Amino acid sequence: MASRTVVGSGRRASAWAVCVALGVTLAACGTGSTPSPSAGPIKIGILSICGGPFATFEQETFSGAKYALIQNAGGKSLGTGPEDGVSGATVSGHPIQISFGCSDASPDKALAEARRLIQNVGVDVLLGPLSGDEGIAVANYAKQQPNKTFVNGTSAAQQTTLSVKAPNFFRFGGDGAQWMAGLGKYAYQTLMWRNVAILGEDYSYPWTQAAGFIGEFCPAGGKISKRIWIPLGTTDWASAVAQLPSNIDGFLLLTGGTDTVAVEKEYATRGGNLATHMLGGSSVMDPTSFTVGQPLKGLAGGSPVPLGSTDSAWTSYADGLEAVYPATPKGSLAGSLFTALYYDGMNAILQGLKQVNGDLSGNQAKFQQALSGLSLSTPNGPIKLDANRNAIITNYIVQIVSQADGSLGFKTIQTVPNVDETFGGVFGPASAPSRDSPTC
Amino acid sequence: MTLRRLRTEIARRLAGGLALVVLVFVIAWVMVRAFGLFGTTGNLPQFIVVTLNGLTLAGLYFIVASGFTLIFGLMRVVNMAHGSLYLLGGYLAWRMVQHRALNYWVALLLAALAIGVVGLVMQQVFLRWNQGQDLRQALITIALSVILADQMIPYFGASAVSIGAPDGLAGSVRLAVYDIQYPTFRLVVLGLATLIGIALWYGIRHTRFGMIIRAGVDDRAMTSALGVNVQVVFAVTFFIGAFLAGLGGVLGGTMIALAPGQDAAFLLSSLVVVIVGGMGSLGGALVGALALGFVDQLSGIYLPAGYTNYSILLTFALLVFVLAMRPTGLFGRR
Repeated sequence: MASRTVVGSGRRASAWAVCVALGVTLAACGTGSTPSPSAGPIKIGILSICGGPFATFEQETFSGAKYALIQNAGGKSLGTGPEDGVSGATVSGHPIQISFGCSDASPDKALAEARRLIQNVGVDVLLGPLSGDEGIAVANYAKQQPNKTFVNGTSAAQQTTLSVKAPNFFRFGGDGAQWMAGLGKYAYQTLMWRNVAILGEDYSYPWTQAAGFIGEFCPAGGKISKRIWIPLGTTDWASAVAQLPSNIDGFLLLTGGTDTVAVEKEYATRGGNLATHMLGGSSVMDPTSFTVGQPLKGLAGGSPVPLGSTDSAWTSYADGLEAVYPATPKGSLAGSLFTALYYDGMNAILQGLKQVNGDLSGNQAKFQQALSGLSLSTPNGPIKLDANRNAIITNYIVQIVSQADGSLGFKTIQTVPNVDETFGGVFGPASAPSRDSPTC
Repeated sequence: MTLRRLRTEIARRLAGGLALVVLVFVIAWVMVRAFGLFGTTGNLPQFIVVTLNGLTLAGLYFIVASGFTLIFGLMRVVNMAHGSLYLLGGYLAWRMVQHRALNYWVALLLAALAIGVVGLVMQQVFLRWNQGQDLRQALITIALSVILADQMIPYFGASAVSIGAPDGLAGSVRLAVYDIQYPTFRLVVLGLATLIGIALWYGIRHTRFGMIIRAGVDDRAMTSALGVNVQVVFAVTFFIGAFLAGLGGVLGGTMIALAPGQDAAFLLSSLVVVIVGGMGSLGGALVGALALGFVDQLSGIYLPAGYTNYSILLTFALLVFVLAMRPTGLFGRR
């Protein structure tokens, strides 16, 4: 989702700015405290998005982070909603104090909120942010605050850990390219696609996701015959769909939110078969697109979380979360990568703190070392960090299926273990994905 | 003095000439690319689909912007909550269709009527006592739009939703040329936009109420002095304007999708349409909607490769271009 949210919201903000300027013209025509690092409470900041078009993720991220506190730090929920507080959480005898940061998905707002939490509220550890460009901004800021620790939420730009590389910035969820692992091979070997087009929003996160797909599909022998990048702010995607060549085996859709719905509707309405002729990026594989209805049945895509898995680690997580924060429709909070990755991030923080008995002295050096060496067992598989403090993850191919009651749900159809950020050396600090890179 | 007038005249003609040259060039460029002239590879089926996309999107823009221009033309109110009314209308119909299993057309009508009433209440409660205070009214409507946008998130969620098209119109029709499949509902929107355009034109040109509106647009004070109850006219106009915004929201929610942020997007497109076309002019709204619809849909495809990301910018280039030549818009009156 990452950068989609960034620019999406930025677009909205700029649209408003233009509207206000135009409107006013028309009208005129008519006429910080310092925290105590080792003793006492440990302050954790949670940075999410709670305004703009992606305000919906606030619920998911908060429920994930808070569920980790309830499950692993003895916290008690003060209500059944993700917005309700959690009290009594402790780690190694230190009470945990939570503060929240609210970004609107733009990097400048995320940075301002990170600054406020670190410098004014005085949090020791920051969990977040949510989106790709936000992540790059916060990771750069982390370099200026070496005595604090930053644990990423869901932001998934490749550069954040592959080229920014702040020594105190940890990412346990991986990046957007990793989230596509397995899909290129799936397209080539299972769907027998040879000639593919990519249709996506025109900015870094979809480029990163495309890189992950190309990294497997092209070495296998596949060909990308067209890459269609549509600027953000496009309301009507009909002409984007019209640009898909007629001689392709299928296309990869890399969009989020409204754009996903717009493309899927347009393609299905014009007689296209989503299940056999389309694959989805990680943001496409989201319950929010279920409004499109039955044409989605059978659509597959890449995801860092095993949506709809029957594996006990996943189901006990999903059921446990559902018990604390009952969602409508059932399972919609647990069925989101945002919930799971904020849950993983908070759990990583708690485990790191437990290993050092809550000792954050010495500029948190011991704590950061503990985080670097963590071996996490998460609902989405085992996780270890690489030398750049980015996770080596397990990735999944998930598919939208019809459930017993006729509603749409997910099924995990493939598991890809040990996915590292470089894809076994394909990507490096200088290989930032762009519109036409990597080549194919 | 004469020299200055001459200079102004030359500048005006130059601008007009330049506009014509640019327009001819753009059309020629699109034709070359579409038909594959001079050795380029053309793609005629794509051109037909994209042209239809432009037309149908223009239809949607026209429905929304005609309400906006009507309100502005008569009352000089820049209704910055027009986009919020669009979104709210769409959401209401979505709820009715999805949760109450209401017939699509009934939901369409009910939602549009409800938005008409919301607009009426807005005008009576907030705007009526600020008559003539253009800036204050604009600021009040901005405040309302922000409040509405935030309130819609808890009620309707922040995820994109789309309204299912009525049975029989959800699929596509096969066009007689090149075996093209085209979404039926988009053509329905185009048809409805045409009907609404004709109805508005007839209503304004050939009915007594339309005559009063025209008189009001030309000279509010004089119309009032002649014994016309301007307040009633204002209220009805605001109702119609809001009704059209709501109607547009339902059609847009079916044709594309609804999500937070669409309110600002459609307010912006309405503003562009009426500024290009000329404030308060129905014909202007039509031309403005067509211009915006075509620029929207064609630019992404026919801009030279590598520059397609500038397509959004072209919308504003269009705006600047028209304003530079005709500060009151193409059909606007001073």
